Amino acid sequence: MSAEGGHHGPIDPLFNPVIPGTEYHLPIYNFVITSWVIILILTITAILATKNMKRFPKGIQNVWEYAVEGLFGFYGGIMGEERARKYGPFLTTCFLYILLCNYSGLIPGAAMIKGFVPPTNNISITAGMSIMVFLSIFYFGIRAKGIGFFKHFFQPMAFLFILNVIEELVRPVSLSLRLYGNIYGEEMIIGKLAEMVPFLVPLPMMVLGVLTGGIQAFVFTLLASTYIAGATEEHH
Amino acid sequence: MEEILKSLGFEFGKFAWQVANFLVLLFLLKKFAYKPILNMLDERKKSIEDAINNAETAKNEAEKMRKEYEARLAEAKQDAQDIIAKATKLGEEIKKDIVTTAQNEATKAIQRAQEEITREKAQAIAALRDEVAILAVMAAGKILGKAITAADHEKLVKDFVAEVGDLKC
Repeated sequence: MSAEGGHHGPIDPLFNPVIPGTEYHLPIYNFVITSWVIILILTITAILATKNMKRFPKGIQNVWEYAVEGLFGFYGGIMGEERARKYGPFLTTCFLYILLCNYSGLIPGAAMIKGFVPPTNNISITAGMSIMVFLSIFYFGIRAKGIGFFKHFFQPMAFLFILNVIEELVRPVSLSLRLYGNIYGEEMIIGKLAEMVPFLVPLPMMVLGVLTGGIQAFVFTLLASTYIAGATEEHH
Repeated sequence: MEEILKSLGFEFGKFAWQVANFLVLLFLLKKFAYKPILNMLDERKKSIEDAINNAETAKNEAEKMRKEYEARLAEAKQDAQDIIAKATKLGEEIKKDIVTTAQNEATKAIQRAQEEITREKAQAIAALRDEVAILAVMAAGKILGKAITAADHEKLVKDFVAEVGDLKC
């Protein structure tokens, strides 16, 4: 299976039910299950953290508040507090989702058990994330500046239009390839090492994996926030 | 393009699923995480600001009150001193009055006593004079050998008195 990049993972799609009344299939891929679990974990912890908020935060509320405050503060440093408020939810969702996806690959059994395939080691999924960033640049840019958003394609000179368009199009490609390549490569190495010497030897790589997972989620979010900051900047 | 995508393992189904999942997650987290947490952070920030402002106001007020009380205390001390000074002065005056009055009274009493003494003395002298005159006449009568008549007696006394009347005792 080329989609699994050589992993001997579970058969994809896991389920392939026919959509009632049509002849189309709705393939439920393994990663979709994993993705749903991640979404559930994030949503349930968020609900637990916010359903009964205290003025003096404790436990899960504290964790969520810390994450939101820290990340929003980080975007604030890039684009100013006001815009961080507007675009923070999108960026934070990117960060948390990618982070958990990356770390899900470090859990034993990842890519081996049915329904447990780490999403970010697949180009289709990282492309899905990148297209969201790509679209959000346009969405936020047009919402912030109206038609004026497209002016920057002709700056600083009109003839640079083609170059600007290419730059804009390269962004999602680089975003998706970077994330996919890093996570896929790292998991590949851990997998191969574990196949050869399953004891202790893959451990340093797994420590590195923890680093890579965090850094890649961070880099993705950082780039996305600078793209959005650039697209919504008032004067250029 | 398609070749490249395929060789990388790109599948549109997965791509579409990812987009859908992400949008769902974005919606859920917006509803359950960002909105309430940002509200909470704002609320907390506001309450901390309020608390700091209140503390500042309370501190200023306390400072003002302290100054006021200090001023009042100083005033009260001044008042007390004034009262003491006044009382002392009054006491002095009363003392002086009493002493003066007492002295006057004493002087008057002495005067009265002297007057009384003088009067008594005068009375005593007068009484003594009469007595002496009578005795003298009686003695004279004895010497003369004959009784002196009442008229003579009286005449003698009067003469005697008239003679010695000028003598100071």
